Amino acid sequence: MSTTPAGVPADEEYPEHADPPRSRMGVALLSLLGLMLATYLTLYKLGYIGTLECTTGGCEKVQQSQWAFFLGQPVALWGVVGYLLLLIVSMLGLQPRWAGERWVALAIFALAAVGLAFSGYLTFLEARVIHAWCQWCVVSAILMTLIFLLSIPGLRRAR
Amino acid sequence: MARPAPQKRRPSSSLKPFYAVLGALALAGIVLLVLQLRKSGGTPATTLTPVVMSPEQLQRVPGISKGQPNAPVVIMEFADFQCPSCGDFARFAEPLLQEWIDNGTVRFVYYDFPLVQIHRNAMLSARAGRCANEQGRFWPYHDRLYGQQQSWAEQPNGKAADMFIEYARLEGLDAGAFAECLRSNRFQKEVSESYQFGTTMEVGGTPTLFINGKRMNQRPTNRAEWEELIRQEMGDAAPAAAPAAAAANAPSGDSALADTATSDTVRR
Repeated sequence: MSTTPAGVPADEEYPEHADPPRSRMGVALLSLLGLMLATYLTLYKLGYIGTLECTTGGCEKVQQSQWAFFLGQPVALWGVVGYLLLLIVSMLGLQPRWAGERWVALAIFALAAVGLAFSGYLTFLEARVIHAWCQWCVVSAILMTLIFLLSIPGLRRAR
Repeated sequence: MARPAPQKRRPSSSLKPFYAVLGALALAGIVLLVLQLRKSGGTPATTLTPVVMSPEQLQRVPGISKGQPNAPVVIMEFADFQCPSCGDFARFAEPLLQEWIDNGTVRFVYYDFPLVQIHRNAMLSARAGRCANEQGRFWPYHDRLYGQQQSWAEQPNGKAADMFIEYARLEGLDAGAFAECLRSNRFQKEVSESYQFGTTMEVGGTPTLFINGKRMNQRPTNRAEWEELIRQEMGDAAPAAAPAAAAANAPSGDSALADTATSDTVRR
């Protein structure tokens, strides 16, 4: 449980010879980027930002489409929730105390998998249903793909 | 689940550079977001163009309204259920306006302006809205039509009519009465009059909006712009709103004023 893969209690600081998992640092950094992006889109959706910075020309069409809502809330707001959870869990998972915990690795992997599936669904909608591309949604999908890939090493380590 | 007692910890030195990068990134992100908010907040107020809108016209051609009859700000929308931009407006701006409608500041009036030249189901959907209004359920039905717009927009008339009847059933209307209404020519005259009213006000595309009798040349794009505009109109003591308000008792509505976003335009 609270031991590192080496069997050492995990609530100590990292020993001199051990580095915190870089893949988890990557997850945290990418989650922060995603969080800011989702916050930007949420503020737009809630009417606090007038016009989206958009080079593809399709951002507003996507953001104002009927698919910009999921379970009664703006999709971007779900993005805020997802990225925030990923950021919190990955930051926890960087602390020596929890770095080796299996549940942390599993939580990051599960959140990333859900995020990736949702991003895939949104990308499908853009390509096949809305017929417009929102560059920020594409960036978010790329971020989530990278987060998912970076979550895999942690899962292997925690076996 | 026994865990060794927490020991005195200090941040691992190997994490310090990471925290520095993370903090810098967060700071940069916050600065960018604040800049975006300030940029949009500084947008000039929407400019308005006065139009001639007589009380007689407003009385003769009823729109479909929601809000208090004596609301100081009256927003009129000329719209087409098949127009994508009208759908965007319904999904994005109308929810923003709802709080001012609820507190009695704004009365919102919907006018049909079906662009039959470019939208095959424009007239049918306008009549469907009126049929729903006949049962006192215009606004939920309006939301349903815009929400499902992409499903029915390009369907043949017959198929679209079937879908409209199904939407009526889903909204809890009397589907039989609704179908009878839709399959007759009922409300063709009212919709056409609404369209004609729009043309006299030089409405060329949808959605076109008027606020207290003035055309909105640019549609507000965020809450701050709406706030600014409504505050400005409340200060203007809008005489044009009065006659419209006087007509607002039936669920089938009255008339008013609104803003404009001319995304769907038809040459006349």
